Amino acid sequence: MLNSDSPWVRWGTVAVGLSIGAIIWEIAGLSFNRALMAPIWGNAEHPGAAPRLFELFADEEFRSALIGSIKLFCTGFGIGVALALPLGIILARFVIVRIALESYILALYVTPMVAIIPFIMAIMGFDFWPKVVVVTLFTFFPVLYNTLEGARSVKPELIEVAKSFRTSELALWRDILIPYTLPFALTGIRQATGRALVGMIAAEFFLSTSGLGGEIMVASRNFDMASVLASIFLITVLGTGLMRLAQAFEKKYSAWRGLDR
Amino acid sequence: MSTSSTQQAGVFLRFIPGKDIQIKLFTGLIILVIWQLGITYSDAPRFIAKPLNVFAVFPDVIVDNEFLDATKSTLLAVIKGLLISLVAGTVVGFAIGRLKVCDRLLNVYINGFYTMPMVAALPLITVWFGYEEEARMATIIFASFFSIAINAADGARSVPPEYLEVAHAYRASPRYIWFDITLFSSLPYLIAGIRLAAGRAVVGAVIAEFFISLEGLGMYILANTRSYAHNEAVVGVLVLAGFGLLFEWITKWVLATYYPWYRRANQ
Repeated sequence: MLNSDSPWVRWGTVAVGLSIGAIIWEIAGLSFNRALMAPIWGNAEHPGAAPRLFELFADEEFRSALIGSIKLFCTGFGIGVALALPLGIILARFVIVRIALESYILALYVTPMVAIIPFIMAIMGFDFWPKVVVVTLFTFFPVLYNTLEGARSVKPELIEVAKSFRTSELALWRDILIPYTLPFALTGIRQATGRALVGMIAAEFFLSTSGLGGEIMVASRNFDMASVLASIFLITVLGTGLMRLAQAFEKKYSAWRGLDR
Repeated sequence: MSTSSTQQAGVFLRFIPGKDIQIKLFTGLIILVIWQLGITYSDAPRFIAKPLNVFAVFPDVIVDNEFLDATKSTLLAVIKGLLISLVAGTVVGFAIGRLKVCDRLLNVYINGFYTMPMVAALPLITVWFGYEEEARMATIIFASFFSIAINAADGARSVPPEYLEVAHAYRASPRYIWFDITLFSSLPYLIAGIRLAAGRAVVGAVIAEFFISLEGLGMYILANTRSYAHNEAVVGVLVLAGFGLLFEWITKWVLATYYPWYRRANQ
């Protein structure tokens, strides 16, 4: 009965799940000290996160922090992808370069990039660009690593046949290299959106405090839990939206992976 | 260039030393030389780490008690947190994968918390757990739990229905259905989940240490970069990278050896 597939049961359960969560959050917010937890709606004594979210949007300072964060994310993410994609395709084109570099790319891919933040802080300082470098590093390796996986899936026979028919370099890239590596690159891009978001917040925490990360930091120092929860909620919504977008792209081109992968 | 490494099987074979290894080592050497000369002959600050200096301090750091304590503290916390996440995440993931009610009730939360950058929750975690080791443990569990749960759910969904039907036909008790069928057929997914979770757990541990100034590898790196001892700090990063690589190799090896049919589906 509970497991039936009828739309009523299905959406009913989802609604029940959401409301249970909301009720638990509300009760926790109302019963704990306001310096520890904030409810969703709240009352005069316990300011809620939902009304606070609207107040924050009306606040000029918060809006500029949000825009600053988005700018940081887009710049770092864009640079990371723009560097990783061509490099990944070069790895697909020249097998020798791939063999030479793949172990090092793997090593850097599994290195937690947060550990690099102190070095960036010491060498580059606290400006906007060091933060961009952090986001770029968080983006670059997932994309490159996954594109590398795609590069490995390019069959050498295809390139050989293309060459024996004297294909131009342009056609080779357009018809073989890009179609083969793109689905993998998109997996990397999806992975990178999540990581870049972590990088963005980490950069805003540990380099100069700014943007959404900065807002969370300042609010938590003032024990303003409603603002902290509202900002975290906003970040989660942004992250989920980006992830969905990336997933949609990934799905669209996943058929290109072919059957033998 | 050998053909074998360009074939499909090369995904796993590439870790076996072959003649490619010469190319790899040579490239590594070139990278190190460029790094060394680049820092030496540019106007970069003197304190920036150089490969030769890192080699020079490496033996001292590796036996240094402070460094060993920091490494032990971080890695033990990561492993403990991963084990907790593994047990809890498997239980929750199986419930989601096999029972539609649980899927509908919890899906929003699992996916939401999975995409939520755990760094953002750090200020909250420190307010709740204090500036103590518990805060780091909470961050590690929070970082790793959801990726294990999602993978366990995928694994539980992928159990071949024939197995379950046979089990039902022979009136197998739930114990057999959960442990002998569901758990065993979703093992490769769990391994893939741990692999993903381990990376996130290490990131969580390091960030938590930065944030709450707790003894550990992250703090060791931060403290040494602040006192311009970058060479020592690089050794800390190398240990973290080594841990990540070790985990990567072990999980890949286990999957390739015991579950050759399992393909990493869009991790």
